[in-house]
Amino acid sequence: MKVTITLRGTLKKYFGEDKERVYEVPEGCTCDEALRIAGINYREIKNFGFVSVNNKRVMIDDRLKEGDLLKAFSKVSGG
Amino acid sequence: MEGRYERNFPALSHEEGMRLGKSRVCVAGCGGLGGGVIEGLVRMGAGKVKAVDGDVFDETNLNRQVLSHEENLGRWKASEAALQMKKVNSLVEVIPVKGFIDRENAEEIIKGADLAVDALDNIRGRKVLEAACERLGIPLIHGAIAGWMGQVSVIMPGDRIIERLYQGEEDRGDEVHTGTPYFTPALVSAIETAEAVKLLTGRESPLRSRLLTVDLLTWEYEITDFGGEK
Repeated sequence: MKVTITLRGTLKKYFGEDKERVYEVPEGCTCDEALRIAGINYREIKNFGFVSVNNKRVMIDDRLKEGDLLKAFSKVSGG
Repeated sequence: MEGRYERNFPALSHEEGMRLGKSRVCVAGCGGLGGGVIEGLVRMGAGKVKAVDGDVFDETNLNRQVLSHEENLGRWKASEAALQMKKVNSLVEVIPVKGFIDRENAEEIIKGADLAVDALDNIRGRKVLEAACERLGIPLIHGAIAGWMGQVSVIMPGDRIIERLYQGEEDRGDEVHTGTPYFTPALVSAIETAEAVKLLTGRESPLRSRLLTVDLLTWEYEITDFGGEK
């Protein structure tokens, strides 16, 4: 199935100039697995914040469906 | 000064203006975000504003923190907030609290407030504030910034946005590497103030349980729904 991945904040650097990327991922794949296919392992990124699917906050191990839009945000905590 | 609040109306009704004038707000943090929020609430005519910060101004604050200037470097941010806001609107009582919010003092500091504003700069403090607000049943406006990025959310007791927003052990985010230019806290503190005024005057906030993220470089304004599972 195909999913679209978009990055926010300082995570954007992982996609270079691309605003978003479409990936072919296995059926029932989790957000974490899809991000790793895109070369992003949240465990290794200190300022990785949270993920949303179709603009709803989800957990990193939640499963994706065909056509989902997965966004990964960096942590923002300055004041 | 009869004309002081004239330009608040009719954006606010006169009844809403009266409600605002009786409100009590606790602003946690008097830096980039807090300075903007405190000034906004004081100019608009809130009743009492508690200004909480355990830090003093230094020269690195001057590029963005509206309460800092060349002559108050080294002075308590909370005391300066009270001192300067008295010149802007002496009808509003600004109560300085020179200290950082922690697990031991959080409830004592925020109790009695109709609303709290998160203008802190660290994740640990934000989590303590959200938990204390939940225990006391006080709504909380969350704001945070890093570089060109900002975010705001309106948290009613039990919504637990901050707990779900910041997972892991890190106490800081992108701001460590991105710096903080003037316009980001200016914008985010204005949005926090607008949401604060809505709640204090009995209006609904469209940001309840939702996170507005703003990227000033690309003009991406996005809303992420945090409703449902907690």
